[in-house]
Amino acid sequence: MSEANTSETAAVSIHHLSKSFDDVEVLRDVELEVKTGEVVTIIGSSGSGKSTLLRCINWLEKPDRGSIHIAGQRIGVHEDGRPMPVRELAKVRAQTGMVFQGFNLWPHLNVLHNVTEAPIHVQGKSKREAEELATALLEKVGMSQKHDSYPNTLSGGQKQRVAIARALAMQPEVMLFDEPTSALDPELVGEVLAVIKDLSAEGYTMVMVTHEMAFARAVSDQVVFLEKGLIIERADPETFFTTPKTDRVRKFLENHDTPSSA
Amino acid sequence: MNASAWHMLLEGAWTTVWISAVSIAIGVVAGLVIALIRLARIPIVDQLLVLYTSVARATPLVTLALFIFLSAPDLGLDLNRSVAGILALTLNTTAFNAEIWRSAFRNFSREQSEAAMATGMTPWVTFRRIMLPQMVITSLPGLVNEMSFLIKGSPAIAVIGIVDLTRVTNRISAVTYEPLPPILVAGVLYMAIIGCLVWLQRLAERRANRLAM
Repeated sequence: MSEANTSETAAVSIHHLSKSFDDVEVLRDVELEVKTGEVVTIIGSSGSGKSTLLRCINWLEKPDRGSIHIAGQRIGVHEDGRPMPVRELAKVRAQTGMVFQGFNLWPHLNVLHNVTEAPIHVQGKSKREAEELATALLEKVGMSQKHDSYPNTLSGGQKQRVAIARALAMQPEVMLFDEPTSALDPELVGEVLAVIKDLSAEGYTMVMVTHEMAFARAVSDQVVFLEKGLIIERADPETFFTTPKTDRVRKFLENHDTPSSA
Repeated sequence: MNASAWHMLLEGAWTTVWISAVSIAIGVVAGLVIALIRLARIPIVDQLLVLYTSVARATPLVTLALFIFLSAPDLGLDLNRSVAGILALTLNTTAFNAEIWRSAFRNFSREQSEAAMATGMTPWVTFRRIMLPQMVITSLPGLVNEMSFLIKGSPAIAVIGIVDLTRVTNRISAVTYEPLPPILVAGVLYMAIIGCLVWLQRLAERRANRLAM
């Protein structure tokens, strides 16, 4: 397959992406391509720019330079450099689904309506259609019994599973996970990881920032290591976790106590 | 008190209720609009709105009502008493409401709107579907508080000749020479009106607590 062809079919393709906050360069000339159906995990110590990279993909963070395409569509700016009007930006954003570290469910809506809100008010789906979809998705994440509950009555793990259903409801090209288990009590991490694992088995395209090394090793097709805004290593999980090329990654993995096999 | 005195009292109460209700309805929405415009920080417009909110909050209602009613003819406006009264109450309450809405905007969590934008909502849909409903819930206690201040301050409009629930007690006692009964009934009626608001406020607070917002 030719170069042009792969970037056309890629779910996400990022070129020459740079971003600074004040004087600090958080992303430096990042290149990343996520093929459809692929799971890419971004790893790195805190402050390495991994969350910023993820948040650039759906333009919650505005990069300084570079380009990002979602399923072939440029996000944020037009190819000729004109800024994208908010309606157009929203349309491209709808091709991505994001799951946040802090869940960010809408507290004034019950579980069902958290999931139906965007399909109804962004895609213009009928209430019935959206509720059928939401019912199926809530079943997929194991939250069928909680349609009428409000977010503040749920555990962290339950909130995150609803948040995953909410993101899936827009049937996005790619799911973005921003440390989805970092705010959870240890005993609740498993239920959320199980849901994400199911999604990867179903062929969803995902980009994930995580500190769960065993999990990253088990589900990823590609692992990317970010250090001070630079991708210093990228490999398939076996190579990455067993024979890292750089000392930096070797040290990082030692500190993270990764199990020898996933 | 005879039947006609009762009738006059109820009419006065009705005047207080409808003039206050119209002022509150306009004032809550206008306050929101001003808070929205101030978010945009448009030069000059922003300073004018700051000036308005400061002046309107610092002016006694009686003074404001008189000023509007007496200056209207000079400005070529033909205001009847009710319109002038509503204008005075609205100008006053809008300024307070604008500050309540503004603090709701300032305290609104960025994560909430990011979650909305991430699903593909435009800023307008995000505002309408995610921000506003939450802001209403969190602002309602403050807004209702301001509503009861407005009702309690509404006798000020009697100064331009509107016969409201307070003014009407004067009229009755001018005939009966018994000032106490009508003013007592007026007090009870005020309490009933404010009581409805307090009840509404309690409902709102309970809802806010239930949603942990």
